[in-house]
Amino acid sequence: MAAYKAFTQEWLDVWKEKINGSKEYKEIAKDWEGSVTMICNADPSKNVPETVYLFTDYWHGDALEFLVCDEAKVQTGKFIMTGDYARWKQVAKKELDPTKALMQGKLKLKGDLTYVVRNVKTVNKVIDLLTEVQTIWPDDV
Amino acid sequence: MNGYAGKFLEVDLTKGICSSLTIEEAKLKKFIGGSCLAASLYLEKYNIQADPLAPESPLMVMNGPMVGSGFPGTSRFAVAAKSPQTGIWGEAACGGNFGPELKKAGFDGIIITGQSPSPVILSVINGETKISPAGDLWGKDIYEVTDICKAEDKGIKVLAIGPAGENLVKFAAIGNDKAHFIGRTGLGAVMGSKKLKAILARGNQSLGKANEEKYKEIFKAAVKEIKDSAFAESLHLMGSDAAMDLGMMNGDVPIKNWTVGEDYELSSNLSGPTMREKYLTKAHACANCPVACKRVCVVKDGPYETEEGPGPEYETCGTFGTMIMNYDLGAVIKANALCNRYGMDTISAGSTIAMAMELYEKGIIDKKKADNLELTWGNMEAVFALLKKISVREGFGNILAEGSLKAAAQLGEAAMDSVVQVKGLEPPMHDPRGYHGMGLAYMMSNRGACHLQHAAMGMEQGMVSWPQLFDMKDDYEGKTSQGKAMMVFNAENYGILDNSLSICHYLMYCLKPETLRDAFNAITGFDFEFKDFLISGARDWTLKRGINNLLGVTVKDDVLPKKILTPLLEGAGAGSVPDMKLLRDEYYAIRGLTPNGIVSEEKLLELGLPELRDKLYKK
Repeated sequence: MAAYKAFTQEWLDVWKEKINGSKEYKEIAKDWEGSVTMICNADPSKNVPETVYLFTDYWHGDALEFLVCDEAKVQTGKFIMTGDYARWKQVAKKELDPTKALMQGKLKLKGDLTYVVRNVKTVNKVIDLLTEVQTIWPDDV
Repeated sequence: MNGYAGKFLEVDLTKGICSSLTIEEAKLKKFIGGSCLAASLYLEKYNIQADPLAPESPLMVMNGPMVGSGFPGTSRFAVAAKSPQTGIWGEAACGGNFGPELKKAGFDGIIITGQSPSPVILSVINGETKISPAGDLWGKDIYEVTDICKAEDKGIKVLAIGPAGENLVKFAAIGNDKAHFIGRTGLGAVMGSKKLKAILARGNQSLGKANEEKYKEIFKAAVKEIKDSAFAESLHLMGSDAAMDLGMMNGDVPIKNWTVGEDYELSSNLSGPTMREKYLTKAHACANCPVACKRVCVVKDGPYETEEGPGPEYETCGTFGTMIMNYDLGAVIKANALCNRYGMDTISAGSTIAMAMELYEKGIIDKKKADNLELTWGNMEAVFALLKKISVREGFGNILAEGSLKAAAQLGEAAMDSVVQVKGLEPPMHDPRGYHGMGLAYMMSNRGACHLQHAAMGMEQGMVSWPQLFDMKDDYEGKTSQGKAMMVFNAENYGILDNSLSICHYLMYCLKPETLRDAFNAITGFDFEFKDFLISGARDWTLKRGINNLLGVTVKDDVLPKKILTPLLEGAGAGSVPDMKLLRDEYYAIRGLTPNGIVSEEKLLELGLPELRDKLYKK
């Protein structure tokens, strides 16, 4: 199975493909509307020299635009999630549940928390599908 | 002494006299306050073998040293007594505003014994105490009594019982200003047995802090931590019922009297977001709390029309929702309002009715036995009728008024499999099949199955991360019993401090432990380190366990009910049950209990409890 470098456009494209290929996701996320952007704080000690900005957009069970972007684009997200690299890696590898990461303050959310709670199955399914992407992490290189 | 008003009020209702009690600093530092100090006084001064409803058994309303300081979450106070529901140590904590007001009125607590020949009210106004006749209030519900007591002075804080307390319903609650309840273990019945309808507090005494400057600095840090906390935000937006959606996904929510593992229609209909969208009129806060997790709700029309008032917590959405297969949140709000008025614990009331519905379905009871009520799942008209009957002990309600365990015993051996309880107390709405650590916490909680005598839920469900206190994981696997004994041990030693410091459980989850410790020290002038906190917590747990040992609790009582040991067929908790023996064996070794579940002599001495050692080992 091919492996992809984390936080690259190629990696995002494969993740998006996984989401759009999932019938289960389509059903779970049929009510979800809006984008989720992610900010991964720079951590040179982990080979992440600069802050990473990612934009992902979802609508009624479909994944739409997935982009490595700039800070301005990230701020347009309906939900903006921020965290350190180590936490994002834990979440992406399912070593830390995203809801727990939020509650423990390891990830920060800007956006309507009520909506996220209402649609927490969708959030978890998106992460589940990310774990199916063979990922090369910067600090594992 | 900073943090303390300096005296406790002792009230003998048989003689109609009040006196004050002072406690030396060393004892306060050792037992801190709240329910821990209450347990210490109970063991030292009272006949613990007496019937809970006997005049000689005390009812203790206790503050902790942080109450009244203005620090976030310190509106709490504890009420403690021998429980009429379980026959062992009973306690419940409450938010609201009574605790701070009592301290401003000059007292750290009130210890009530005796029995008045006729109904009375106790008033504590700026250090002055008065016992007044209350015959005209007897029979009135909690909302009515509260309104009458506040008619002349809206600032008066009220603790009151309703008909359930008067009629000695074993899970009767005490209400504080309509919106806050001392629900668990039936302490409203103890108040009722003393013919004490209400306690009023009003005061303006200012309370100093040992280090005002340091306190101000910590206060600012605390407010920032709360503002930054997603947990606090979720509570503010959705109340404790924020737990419903997540809980359903994670196997935490009991359904149909603990027999079904998953029903997303139920959780969607009964969840915090739904309450916010359809019924919430505003959020309400306890004294000095920036979170405001309490709900104020109204059901404007339809069969469950209910006036604007205190809305249900998550637990109530479970017991009057998922547990009885009621899909209508409006009906939960109405059931909650009825329990509030009658003065009944919503967890025990709803759970006992859920058991009755299962017995009805199984044919163990019939319509005739149930006073011609159709106890079919989700029949809310029958539920409302039953609540009324329970509160006045009428017909079938008189049986259910004993709580599920004693009610089932009256209904015959076949009924016992439908009871879900530990040590006589129905569990809250968290299923140990999804989280095995919670199973152990239920088994070992000193007041019976409980989620608030420890922080096991916060740790196991990942709401908190406290690596500075002890080894713990950020992400526990729920469906395993491995390693959970140590987790629960630590969760108890820290979480139980809520009830002695008197701080809200939720705020403890939002704050860094160092912030809480520093605030405690700045208020009291004590010099506690984390290890002192954890030793105090261990002493608290052990003291109450020792009292329970003296009341007959042994290993035979540290068990989970059959239903929780029966795997579910669906949902996140499917196919998994706690390994009761593994959990208990590991826990006993860590906690210093003998194989029979008695606190060892060595542990009692290590924790500075020689008097308890003498009583337990007859020295």
